[in-house]
Amino acid sequence: MRSRSGGWLLAPALLLLLVAFVVPVGMMVPMSFRPYVPLVGITDGFTVRYYTKLLTDSYYLEIIGRTLALGFTVTLATLVIGYPVALFLARTPSRWRSWLTILVVFPLMLNLVVRTFGWIALLAQNGLVNQALRALGVVDAPVKLLFNFAGLLIAMTHIFLPFMVLVLIGAIQNIPRDVEDAARVLGASWAGTFCRVTLPLSAPGILSGSILVFVLTISALVTPRLLGGPTYQVMATLIYDEFLQRLNWPAGSAQALLLTLMVLALVYLSGRLARRTGARA
Amino acid sequence: MTAARVRGWLLRAWVALAFAFLMLPVVVVALASLSRTSYLTVPPRGLTLHWFTQVLGDAEYVQAIGFSVLLALVATAGAVGAGVAASFALIRRRVPGGALVSALLNAPLVFPAVVVGVALLQFYAMVHLNGSFVGLALAHMVITAPYVVRAVTASLQGIDPELEHAARVLGASGPVAFFTVTLPLIRPGVAAGALFAFIVSFDNVPVSIFLLGAGQMTLPVKIFTAIEYGVDPSIAAISTMLIVLTGAGLAVAERWIGFHRFV
Repeated sequence: MRSRSGGWLLAPALLLLLVAFVVPVGMMVPMSFRPYVPLVGITDGFTVRYYTKLLTDSYYLEIIGRTLALGFTVTLATLVIGYPVALFLARTPSRWRSWLTILVVFPLMLNLVVRTFGWIALLAQNGLVNQALRALGVVDAPVKLLFNFAGLLIAMTHIFLPFMVLVLIGAIQNIPRDVEDAARVLGASWAGTFCRVTLPLSAPGILSGSILVFVLTISALVTPRLLGGPTYQVMATLIYDEFLQRLNWPAGSAQALLLTLMVLALVYLSGRLARRTGARA
Repeated sequence: MTAARVRGWLLRAWVALAFAFLMLPVVVVALASLSRTSYLTVPPRGLTLHWFTQVLGDAEYVQAIGFSVLLALVATAGAVGAGVAASFALIRRRVPGGALVSALLNAPLVFPAVVVGVALLQFYAMVHLNGSFVGLALAHMVITAPYVVRAVTASLQGIDPELEHAARVLGASGPVAFFTVTLPLIRPGVAAGALFAFIVSFDNVPVSIFLLGAGQMTLPVKIFTAIEYGVDPSIAAISTMLIVLTGAGLAVAERWIGFHRFV
């Protein structure tokens, strides 16, 4: 049965991808080289100025740097918080395990705008976090947690934590228990077993979870926009303003293509890395 | 043995804290929706359901809910149709360049949604699809189809192709064998994929916000713009309705098809 060609079955999906994904994204390449003249619009001609500005202008470099810094810190935070959770959910004999897993999935399925709104209520000047900090006597004046790095880091760690946990659960479940038992029987301590058996064997999950969270963080629009406002920009909000406020589509296209290139490069490199570590194991 | 018990309790405590962190904004939103004050405050001052009746009486919110449901239903139908066919071809048929096709089908999962949004904004302006429902629905099908493909592919890999083969040997045509043998067997996968597709479409902001025409408004974009203008308890009320609906939907899906197996 496998011998018959499945071409016509793939046709609807491939046509859809071609018309509403591949061609539109491809069209951004010529657009990014066209000059935009204020009050006139997009003119004919050829320019690389949007790319040179992105890679040399300190305003853009700061936004790109901030986006990458958020990517790294959010990834690290989700990994540190999420690994023990994944370890617990992967190994617990509890009959509540599937419901606890659903509890991790629930925030993921809940509207992103709603989750971000919750963080506005928490992180505002008179929000719950500041109330709690003052009640505990940690601070005297309210701490600024919106429109800065700290707010974005906290909220995006919350938003992407379920992705990390779910990927790690899969990876940890794939480790045979026998291997850990063998290490313990042969005299390894719990810490030794964890550091030299469990952790290395879950490395593929750590890698794919980290890449996923990093990529999603640097692409995020809604949370940075609502918690960072129009002033504290990241790459996605910059693209948003370029297209909807400044109407400079060529500049926006160049920024969008740079973001795409960063994402694709990361996905490609992680694929190669996974194959290399897989070959060594 | 005591060290192991201490470790066990420490792990449980960490997990409990992480779950508290995950649920914190959800609880805060639900509490804020009950406040009598006209500004957002937690814990709520006084209790009222006023904000819920206000949102449900607001024509803009009601229309946005209707539009979002319609869009999500159309997108899900398209994504399930195209996605199930493509998954079947990838698993059961010989596809030249199968790995590449599979990568392409899954690309929208990691591709920045904001880039898809602006790319379609430009493209639709060129082909005069800007502000059209068709354009919006096609965009939502592209971003939801990968979820269907993932769930259905996983389901198809779990069933024996010989069952369908047996139906064919006994005289059933290809489509009859598919609809009477294969499809009922992969129904949980299709249901999970469809649920994913519906939720992803119903939630979407970064693609919709660039493509909505005059008179079109989805619920999440409406909430998004409402927050940009200023937060008040009515936003908390509509958010709380989404929290309850999402929770109930997920609980039903877990009981019905064991939803957690598909994430």
